[in-house]
Amino acid sequence: MNKIKGYNNWKELASKELKDKSLNDHYWETPEGIKVKPLYTEEDLKNLNHQIGLPGLPPFTRGPRATMYTNRPWTIRQYAGFSTAEESNRFYKEGLKNGVMGLSVAFDLATHRGYDSDHPRVVADVGNAGVAIDSIEDMNLLFDGIPLDQMSVSMTMNGAVIPVLASFIASGEEQGCPREKLTGTIQNDILKEFMVRNTFIFPPKPSMRIVADIIEYTSKHMPRFNSISISGYHMQEAGANQVQELAYTLADGKEYIKSALERGLNIDEFAPRLSFFWSIGMNFFMEIAKMRASRYMWAEIVKEFKPKNNKSLALRTHCQTSGVSLMEQDAYNNIVRTTIEAMAAIMGGTQSLHTNSFDEALALPTNFSARIARNTQLILSEETGICNVIDPLAGSYYVESLTSSIVQESKKLIQEIDEVGGMVKAIEMGIPKMRIEESSAKRQARIDSNEETIVGVNKYKPTEKQEINILSIDNEEVRERQVSRLQKLKKSRDNKNVENFIEKIKNVAGQKGNLLEVCIEASKNRCTVGEMTSAMESVFGRHNLSTKTISGVYKNSVKNDGKIDVIDRELDKFIKNKGRRPRMLVVKMGQDGHDRGAKLIATAFSDLGFDVDIGPLFQTPEEAAKQAVENDAHVIGVSTLAAGHKTLVPLLMESLKNNEANEIKVICGGVIPPDDYPFLYKLGVAKVFGPGTNIQEAAIEIINLL
Amino acid sequence: MKLKHYLKLFNISKIDFSKKIGVSNVSLSRYISGERFPERKVLSKIYQSTNGLVDANDFYLEGIPNYELNDQQKAELNNMINSLRKGKLKFIAKAITLIESSLKLHKLQASFLLSKLKDKNDSLRIGITGVPGVGKSTFIETFGMTLIDLGYKVAVLAIDPSSKRSGGSILGDKTRMMRLSVNKNAYIRPSPSQGHLGGVAKKTRDSIRCLEEAGYNIIFIETMGVGQAETTVYDMVDIFLVLLLPSGGDELQGIKKGIIEIADLIIINKADGSLKSTAEITMSEYKNAQTMISKSRKDILPQVFQCSSTENTGINKILSFVKKFEETRKKSGSFYQTRSEQQIKALWSDITLETQEFIENDLRSKEFVKKIIKDVEKNKFDVNNASKIILDYIVKK
Ligand code: B12
Ligand SMILES: Nc1nc2c(ncn2[C@@H]2O[C@H](COP(=O)(O)OP(=O)(O)OP(=O)(O)O)[C@@H](O)[C@H]2O)c(=O)[nH]1
Ligand SMILES: [Mg+2]
Repeated sequence: MNKIKGYNNWKELASKELKDKSLNDHYWETPEGIKVKPLYTEEDLKNLNHQIGLPGLPPFTRGPRATMYTNRPWTIRQYAGFSTAEESNRFYKEGLKNGVMGLSVAFDLATHRGYDSDHPRVVADVGNAGVAIDSIEDMNLLFDGIPLDQMSVSMTMNGAVIPVLASFIASGEEQGCPREKLTGTIQNDILKEFMVRNTFIFPPKPSMRIVADIIEYTSKHMPRFNSISISGYHMQEAGANQVQELAYTLADGKEYIKSALERGLNIDEFAPRLSFFWSIGMNFFMEIAKMRASRYMWAEIVKEFKPKNNKSLALRTHCQTSGVSLMEQDAYNNIVRTTIEAMAAIMGGTQSLHTNSFDEALALPTNFSARIARNTQLILSEETGICNVIDPLAGSYYVESLTSSIVQESKKLIQEIDEVGGMVKAIEMGIPKMRIEESSAKRQARIDSNEETIVGVNKYKPTEKQEINILSIDNEEVRERQVSRLQKLKKSRDNKNVENFIEKIKNVAGQKGNLLEVCIEASKNRCTVGEMTSAMESVFGRHNLSTKTISGVYKNSVKNDGKIDVIDRELDKFIKNKGRRPRMLVVKMGQDGHDRGAKLIATAFSDLGFDVDIGPLFQTPEEAAKQAVENDAHVIGVSTLAAGHKTLVPLLMESLKNNEANEIKVICGGVIPPDDYPFLYKLGVAKVFGPGTNIQEAAIEIINLL
Repeated sequence: MKLKHYLKLFNISKIDFSKKIGVSNVSLSRYISGERFPERKVLSKIYQSTNGLVDANDFYLEGIPNYELNDQQKAELNNMINSLRKGKLKFIAKAITLIESSLKLHKLQASFLLSKLKDKNDSLRIGITGVPGVGKSTFIETFGMTLIDLGYKVAVLAIDPSSKRSGGSILGDKTRMMRLSVNKNAYIRPSPSQGHLGGVAKKTRDSIRCLEEAGYNIIFIETMGVGQAETTVYDMVDIFLVLLLPSGGDELQGIKKGIIEIADLIIINKADGSLKSTAEITMSEYKNAQTMISKSRKDILPQVFQCSSTENTGINKILSFVKKFEETRKKSGSFYQTRSEQQIKALWSDITLETQEFIENDLRSKEFVKKIIKDVEKNKFDVNNASKIILDYIVKK
């Protein structure tokens, strides 16, 4: 019962305005399961699950710093990297001239997975989705003319984190910047790789040891460097709702604290250098509430480890606007979406921010789209006056109440993780991944049945086609350049010396010692990223993800608007004709680890009545073809998002031919620029399904194709 | 029964038979090929000399469309068999698809194909069961790779015979068998869930034969540990492995006691990391309980082992037991005897299956049956007489 004076009058009036509908119909249950009311009042500020407090002071709900943006706005930090080190270097410098304040390096998938550019498994990956770094020489080119003692550098690296960070540190020293002076962040968050990001290399146990090695080393030698960026971003992008994103990320954080403590570190030695990373999607108030809740909860969590320094309790974060909210269709809408998301990140009190480019669902950004993305932040920062007030939404009935609900719901999820014995265990059991995939399937079901609107995709579709210039990378050329640079390196260096270092790395991996420390020396002596990784791999082994699948979620969440009946009818016909259900093999080839779409397609299609085989991540085209032939699939569904399609699909077609299996149809889905469609069709690809595909419509089309 | 089949079954030459019924050899050939329909007198002679096994109907049925394959279809199948023998993936796959298909034509093609296969005695069929997630696929991956390194060719059939699901399936088995799935000496075929137990059993047995013909000499059958599925699998393999998790009694693991009783080998999987000591305890529990385990084989005692499929420990012991099992039973002959007994069981279960299918698909929809059922419902017809009439019809069929 709300005791505010006049509340009942309001209720009466509202009911009258609603006419035949009841107020209760206007409760909105968010995907997180939080009930949002139409009206919040001061009553809702009673019994909050969190404390509001003051900025810069524990529990930091209102921000990690006392002055927040009133003193200095957030850091504009655009995530970028592509092709060769020289190209990316040029792009960084252009950004720095135009308002970018900190660098953020995106590596290519070969580097992420610890392969040098000449490795046969990465023919389609070099330089495509990030910059190719094979050794310290590439690192030197990447930061050429960028003084590392003045520029903070964030690096998204997790799998090959040891050799890459080592090369970075070594490169800094060759540039004349001692390691103590380096500023920035290394992502180094391996747990979420096993969950959603998929650029792991070693099994969980040695991977956790590596994390601890880095925390240990940086806390001793690099006082200005964030040793880890505990990331929820990738979870939300993979489908997690905000509560899942928050809960699993904090649970990861707890796990990292434990392993650093086990290493013998003192909590105050490293906790102030732990940083976080959130994704900011379209649910404006929820995102703000999430960020405020996160700070409160982290302070609570760290308190249990009895720190003496208040800084250990403060959660500092980077944010990136959501990429999944951006669409290929009607792409200029994305500028608007990104603006709204950026505002939420700022109202939520982020320390640094990346804004996406409007061509997000098509390819890596061009100079033009990158500029608009950058300017979005500059406009917010310099034209709106937002920076003048700290935590402007504090005390809002709605926002505080949401913050409180998020705290409550996330605690439940964290408890579930604690009960199975922590995040490492939970990940082994596949719990968080499964929950995230469920959320992803539910969301797709809502979109496919038009319950959730996406302007330009399932409503208000544009009638005219827009031409958008996109960045295209000649991956073949980049690879050749990298390979010849590698060859040159291997000729000019002291190979005996290199061998010694490889042995040393193996020793340290097998026994005690700090892997980062030995690899810094190895990098200086021109050991490559691939060589250092395989040295460790020979001791640790390479991890294979065992793919778990969900079923029934899509079907149960989708509203049948007649398409399902059509599918059932078409399937009946098919079965009568062919004696079995249509069988589709969904494949991921190359080092592309974007599996959200593939998992979704697999579970939804099997729910709709297909027999679906799902291949492991990182298949070669030959392996995919073998599997399709063995299983006698009618069709191979290639899901490709990291620009490898122009190399991989031709190889797949060839392998099918070699198996005399030309009759197996090939279809493609994922991020494929429209300009590449003719290329694929010419190869014999039967159909291409881009971002925003309605799964039921695709199913009907595919049955008809067969 | 067709006359052709009768002569073959009782090993009677055409000449002898033509003499017996008093027609020329040429005429007899024409009756058999369906070119001519036997005269009434001849029909009754045939009926008598075959003890009623061959009657007029058996001549009518010739030439009904789709009942027999045409020459081109046969040639294609022969082609398929040749390619299959050469180990060509595509054709092995197509053969299994024919076996699994629900189309009449495909069934016919499958039986033609199967009739051409030789029986192989040099293979080992290994059944593996256990609750979901116990690590069956991972175990097969590790054990299978060990066998491949020893020079074997390994095939894996993953089946889900207990599933009542009628919709589509999602099959991720190969993601748990990464090395096997890319190895050229391995063939993995997960089968979508498809209806009832008997059907799956038959299809699996037939697929095994195709794989053996294609040169695979180790055949794994992976199946989920629930319901009657295990005994079904037990009846098509040479050795039956039950995988268990460290800790917990049978009930806890959802495994029925009956399953433990027929196991040739109980394996406590995941004996690694924090579960190592629990695995030890579980192993000794089962060892102690072994006296209670009835001996399903006369010549060799079931054993309990522990292993880690992910860390590849304990696999060698399992390998040596499996080898010893095979050798001992091959020496004593019981290996082959069991296979023969399994054939007979398969025959009867096929018959039951076909009859059931006939009842479900044909009989129920027959007008006269519908009529009878209505009458029985209204008590106009008593059950005894009604069933006699229907049975009489079945027997004639
Ligand atoms: C989510 C996402 C991620 C998540 C992935 C989580 C996961 N487990 O999948 C995270 C945050 C981890 C991530 C990481 C990276 N990402 Co990313 N990511 C995206 C993003 C924003 C959305 C993709 C997505 O999942 N959409 C939702 C799903 C449901 O849609 P979908 O896959 O397109 O599938 C639909 C259709 O395409 C179709 N479909 C797809 N497959 C199939 C198959 C069949 C058979 C059928 C019928 C239909 C079909 O149906 C689906 C339903 O509509 C895209 C940009 C965008 N908006 O598309 C970038 C994007 C793909 N990422 C990109 C990059 C570069 C990366 C990184 C490599 C960055 C780096 N250098 O570190 C990393 C590395 C990841 C890795 N291991 O490979 C680039 C790729 C650039 C390019 N192609 O040139 C993109 C395009 C963003 C950009 N413009 O820069 N990413
Ligand atoms: N620690 C450990 N984990 C294992 C072992 N064997 C399997 N696993 C893990 O257990 C999970 C399930 O393994 P699977 O091989 O898929 O189990 P399964 O019995 O085939 O499962 P279903 O086919 O779903 O019935 C995977 O995550 C494996 O990595 C083992 O020996 N030790
Ligand atoms: Mg399995």
